[in-house]
Amino acid sequence: MNTALFLALGTAFGWVLSRSGASDYDVVQAMFLFTSFQLYGIIGTAVLVTAPGLWLLKRRGRTAFGAPLAVKPKPRHPGNVVGGVLFGIGWSITGMCPGPILVNLGEGKLYALGALAGALLGAALFGALYERFPAWLRLPALRVGTGDG
Amino acid sequence: MTLILHQLQPYHWALSGVLIGVITLLLLWLGNQRLGISTGFENLCSLVLKTAYFRRSEITGSQAWRLPFLAGLVLGGFLSAATSGGGWAPFWDLGSFDRAIGLGPAGKLVWMFAGGLLIGFGTRMAGGCTSGHGIFGIANLERASVESTLAFVAAGIVASNLIYRVGAA
Repeated sequence: MNTALFLALGTAFGWVLSRSGASDYDVVQAMFLFTSFQLYGIIGTAVLVTAPGLWLLKRRGRTAFGAPLAVKPKPRHPGNVVGGVLFGIGWSITGMCPGPILVNLGEGKLYALGALAGALLGAALFGALYERFPAWLRLPALRVGTGDG
Repeated sequence: MTLILHQLQPYHWALSGVLIGVITLLLLWLGNQRLGISTGFENLCSLVLKTAYFRRSEITGSQAWRLPFLAGLVLGGFLSAATSGGGWAPFWDLGSFDRAIGLGPAGKLVWMFAGGLLIGFGTRMAGGCTSGHGIFGIANLERASVESTLAFVAAGIVASNLIYRVGAA
């Protein structure tokens, strides 16, 4: 039941990422080159819709099935910005952020295989190096992690 | 502008944003999960790597929802291509990249692999990506998310301008 729910929501999200241009190389470049408003509009509207809904859900404090709502804020640390810069360069090079790597694979874009292989190796390297990063990054303890999402 | 996929006309940005917001809220309301994709790379890594980092409770505890969600992203892309009129077929077309840089399949795989490394490493150091920080985190007014989103959008702007207005110009 739950597996079907998450598969269905993932499928809907993948569909919208595909048809909106959020997983299109040219739309991503046009955002970064300021030649199209499309992706700024998408992210901005998504935030404007999510914010009040999230506020209401948190105020209600329960899911649709009555369970206590779990919204854990992400820890703040210099890695948010340093990692963000690295990710932004990768987003520009590939024209994909994490979700669209998988959406592009589904669409049949074969070059997305390279991006997926790189992303998995990058995440594996990050995990392997976790306790060796310099102290100024102030990454949270290993059992906490940098923030999940 | 049209999409690389079958030269489709994309949905209007406002409709797209509303749909993404609704899916984000349904994921929380029905599934009790905060939207976030990049940890999914770690969920996938943890299927093979059994080190302490990949056995954190955040990873082991989220396999059950993130793996089907990630599978859905692939399925959603597949259905989008298969029902678009052009049908599903694997392809290498890369739009403006083909016109300005023009690498073949092997070159594209290397290019994408290099960018992918930065995506996997960077999002995990940042603790999130466009979905977890950019949409959910900002909507939840989290300072870490605002700072991280400003950083990755700014870095993308600089990188794309270097690639297309300096390198390929």
